[in-house]
Amino acid sequence: MPGMPQQSETRSSISVLGLISPAVVLCIWETAGALGWVNTILLPRPSQIVQSLFELVADGAVVSPLIHTVVLFLVGYCLASIIGIALGIAMAMSQVLYGLFEPLVEIVRPIPKSALVPVLFLFLGIGKATMVVIVVLAAVFPILISTFQGVRGLDPVLLETARTFQVSRWRTIFSIVLPASLPMILAGMRVALGLGLVLVILAEMLAGEDGIGFRVLDLQRAFQIREMFAWIFVLVVLGGGLMLLFDMIERRLVPWRGKT
Amino acid sequence: MRETVAVAGTLEDTELRRSRAPLARRRFGTRLYGLLLIAVLLSFWEVSSRLGWIVSAYWPPVSTIFAAAITQLAGGEMLTSLAATLRRAAIGYVTGAVVGVSLGILLGRSRLLRIALLPLIEIVRPIPTPAVIPPLILFLGVDDTLKIFIVSLASFFPVFTNTLAGVATVDDTLMQTARTFQTGWLRTLRCVLLPATLPAISAGLRTATSLALVVAVLAEMIAGSSGIGYYLVQMQYALRPDLMYAGVLYLAVTGYLLNRMFLVLEARLIPWMGKT
Repeated sequence: MPGMPQQSETRSSISVLGLISPAVVLCIWETAGALGWVNTILLPRPSQIVQSLFELVADGAVVSPLIHTVVLFLVGYCLASIIGIALGIAMAMSQVLYGLFEPLVEIVRPIPKSALVPVLFLFLGIGKATMVVIVVLAAVFPILISTFQGVRGLDPVLLETARTFQVSRWRTIFSIVLPASLPMILAGMRVALGLGLVLVILAEMLAGEDGIGFRVLDLQRAFQIREMFAWIFVLVVLGGGLMLLFDMIERRLVPWRGKT
Repeated sequence: MRETVAVAGTLEDTELRRSRAPLARRRFGTRLYGLLLIAVLLSFWEVSSRLGWIVSAYWPPVSTIFAAAITQLAGGEMLTSLAATLRRAAIGYVTGAVVGVSLGILLGRSRLLRIALLPLIEIVRPIPTPAVIPPLILFLGVDDTLKIFIVSLASFFPVFTNTLAGVATVDDTLMQTARTFQTGWLRTLRCVLLPATLPAISAGLRTATSLALVVAVLAEMIAGSSGIGYYLVQMQYALRPDLMYAGVLYLAVTGYLLNRMFLVLEARLIPWMGKT
């Protein structure tokens, strides 16, 4: 199947035909639970989960942990984007800054960021600031690296043209470098989106204070399985929603980039 | 290919093209400030702790961390924990990668499978990995099975998505040519589809490599009974920051080596890998 028609085909099939298989799975799940093939204490039926979800939404219990998680994530993610893009462009355009920061980046980057969660808890104490730092650390490197690659991969003619016309450095960055490397920057930001979300949930679980991550783990330990699944469903919506939002923004910003 | 390839695919080439002879000196020269910066930061850490500028039990001098790391080399809990983690991460990674490539190719070639499975995969994909651990504990317990499953799940998605995208971009003429010559499906797969998709698969595999380690460590933290993630949390509770930092140090080295190994293998096995 050639590239273009297939895309539109997959897109439309996801919207209409794509509903078939999830519906089938839900039906099997529901009947398996109703007929007692699976233990509904461990794996509640979808209808039971939806009921718990309604209760969560109805009495407003969903609001505070959701806001906790979303705010921590967004603050960290935005900071990471700013730092990553700025440092990436700076390192790509200045050999001095590259030499200054490259070794440091290469030392911190390979650390599995999950390992830093207990370290930072000890170091900075358990709190919102620490969690934001964790999200920043997780999200900044994919953005930094893809920005760097994007800027270094630019057509040199573009930059030379700017130099010929004596365009100022800042204008070059904002009118040429940034737009031209945007697809790469966004590719890094997409990876960072998932990673940041993973780390914020992990941090909430280990900190044990508030947030969706804490709820899920806490309810599992209290053996309130239905409520736990309801919270996981909230996470599905949150994660899926953020990804859809990202897709929309990307399509708006980089319309010439056909496929995601 | 050097480690900078991970940071910059084209950087090394541009440097090589610019000037061949003074490259070594030049590379050392540009990095000199960076290495100095690290040295300054580390000595500041050491001094601030020694002189008590920062009075905290969690701020041990760097030298004690290195000392702890070296002591552990002689045999200790830390390295056995790390080995256990790596074993689970490796099994999970390979499983996730194999399933990811297979499903990616199958779904890429068959519209029916795409309609049937893609929506399900897309629903599961955005769930942050730590969130699926609590329910899975109920079914799989807290042993190896759980952690291997989690790692394979986390590795699956980048490999799958990249393979699927890679198959979609395979030149249709190639496939039609294979069909014209009535090439068998296995041969088509081995000689046409896989080589053309390999760069995309490899990109997915690389994302999955670092992800596998992250996820293996976090699974041990949440559902811990062994492994370096569990060890780190234990050391946090035991207020032994030196051992904890030493553990992170070993993990950093591991992550670095894995990435390096991956790049060497990639250059060796996929020489036609396009420069990104």
